[in-house]
Amino acid sequence: MKSTRGVCFFLFVIPLVASPPLRAEASTRNEEIETCLSCHGEKDASLTLPSGEKQSLYVQRDVFEKSVHGARQGCTGCHPAQAEVPHPELKARDKAAFVAGFKDLCKTCHFENYTKALDGVHYQILTKGGSAPFCVDCHGAHDIASPTVPRTRVSETCGTCHGDMAETYAKSVHGLALAAGNPDVPVCTDCHHAHDIADPRTKDWRLTTIDLCAKCHTNKTMMGKYGLSTNVLASYLSDFHGMSAKLAASGEKPKIITALCIDCHGTHDITKAKDGSSQVLKANLQKTCTKCHAGASKNFPAAWLSHYEPSMKRAPLVWAVGVFYKIFIPFIIGGLCLQILLHLWRVLVNR
Amino acid sequence: MTEYAIRFSKRQRFEHAIVMTTFVLLAVTGFPQKFFETGWARGIVSLIGGLDHLRFIHRVSGIVFSLFTMWHIGVAVILAAQRKMKLTLLPNRQDFKDAVQQLRYDLGLVESQPAFDRFDYRQKFEYWGLVLGGLVMIMTGLVLYFPMLVTRFLPGELIPASKVAHSNEGLMAFLVVITWHIYNAHLAPGIFPYDSSIFTGRISKKRLKHEHPLEYARLYGEPAHDEPAPPAPETPPTP
Repeated sequence: MKSTRGVCFFLFVIPLVASPPLRAEASTRNEEIETCLSCHGEKDASLTLPSGEKQSLYVQRDVFEKSVHGARQGCTGCHPAQAEVPHPELKARDKAAFVAGFKDLCKTCHFENYTKALDGVHYQILTKGGSAPFCVDCHGAHDIASPTVPRTRVSETCGTCHGDMAETYAKSVHGLALAAGNPDVPVCTDCHHAHDIADPRTKDWRLTTIDLCAKCHTNKTMMGKYGLSTNVLASYLSDFHGMSAKLAASGEKPKIITALCIDCHGTHDITKAKDGSSQVLKANLQKTCTKCHAGASKNFPAAWLSHYEPSMKRAPLVWAVGVFYKIFIPFIIGGLCLQILLHLWRVLVNR
Repeated sequence: MTEYAIRFSKRQRFEHAIVMTTFVLLAVTGFPQKFFETGWARGIVSLIGGLDHLRFIHRVSGIVFSLFTMWHIGVAVILAAQRKMKLTLLPNRQDFKDAVQQLRYDLGLVESQPAFDRFDYRQKFEYWGLVLGGLVMIMTGLVLYFPMLVTRFLPGELIPASKVAHSNEGLMAFLVVITWHIYNAHLAPGIFPYDSSIFTGRISKKRLKHEHPLEYARLYGEPAHDEPAPPAPETPPTP
């Protein structure tokens, strides 16, 4: 491939140091960094790619030193090919290819997260030729810092591309609490994962969301802090919707996945259930039902017991029917079995 | 050679076959929905090919069962009104006396078992259990099938109440069948391996005399065993 003028210029000005190749051993790490920065520490270090795009090659010394790698990695740990000077010919034709070229560099050390990312939706998009982030797009390069410190950083990172959702999330009950320093509320990656991000538009993903919500909302210690019920999963599952969702994963998936937590409560826009704008507030429930049940009547929302266990006060009819069968079934079946056993005993005695 | 009496008409045998088939289908496609968190429930759903298929079979079987129940009741009402059918399955005071005597016999308090007519109390209990339980299943099933329509006129709480009733009534019907029916029609001494009369429509005179002596006496008088029996009169159809 034809070298660009920029690359040629850049490589020629590098001093002799060159062969034999540099090694990123601890003792030589500082020396290596100094060597590289002698060129890459220059603000105008850059090259022009065949596409005509200008790519900066400048590395800010203090930014790198403050990064998580600054104290333990030299340059060639991530840029092994560049240990040779002059550097080998650059294959990237444009900026996207230049950045994409770095994605394999992380896997040497971060193999687990790298392979997870290969299962993620972003990588799927990349393989189809689309534009999606990989390692350095989210984590940065020379400025890598812990992605979850502070936790608000996560939604900022995702918000770079998913701005609308980050904004909606920030106004939700989870987002507001996060901003106020709450350590329990989920950030983007708690539900979507960081590396093996699933496509949230699939039925498979939809079906996993029940367990996502349940993970925190059935945790008695955590919910106790906020006075929230942990019975929400059990009461959901005892309803037609919950039962259907549990069975939907077996065999061919149903055409319609019945209402899940997120269908009534929302996703990024979840509010407190008692909030005036809440979709699950009694006054708004009929409208929420009509999202799936077009033309639902005024009586229809009462078919859902609002996460309450049937009791004499709440849903007395449901409670009474349940109590009736709890007594009636053992009475009838017990009586019949007793008669059978008695009859058998008589037959044996008479023999 | 064994002599036989006619016990069930073609229509009755057909009805039993339909109830038997739909009952099995309804149970197989219903219980996975009741016990949705168990491994075997997921296994059955997978085997049938997913929840949509399972529910399709459940609903079609339910509709067939409902139509036959309505037909059965309709035929009985019309024929009884025209005095073409004796309602021999209607429970009466004698049935309660028989049940008490049977229990006393099983406990060893009396020497003789009750003498039954065309249907004994066990069979009547099961028949009415099926008809009344079937009506509960049909009505609650319809409520669950058309919740939007029902809540246009009735309170919403009827839907979860119907779900609890449908689920429990179904469980009870199943338990009655696997205990009472399987015992009385298959496992009971003298019946084992199975009572074939509902499939063939006929019963040996020996068994008829033993199990339904009052009906036998009514039909044949009390003939001695070696005497040729009078020609079998037409058994009146029963529901």
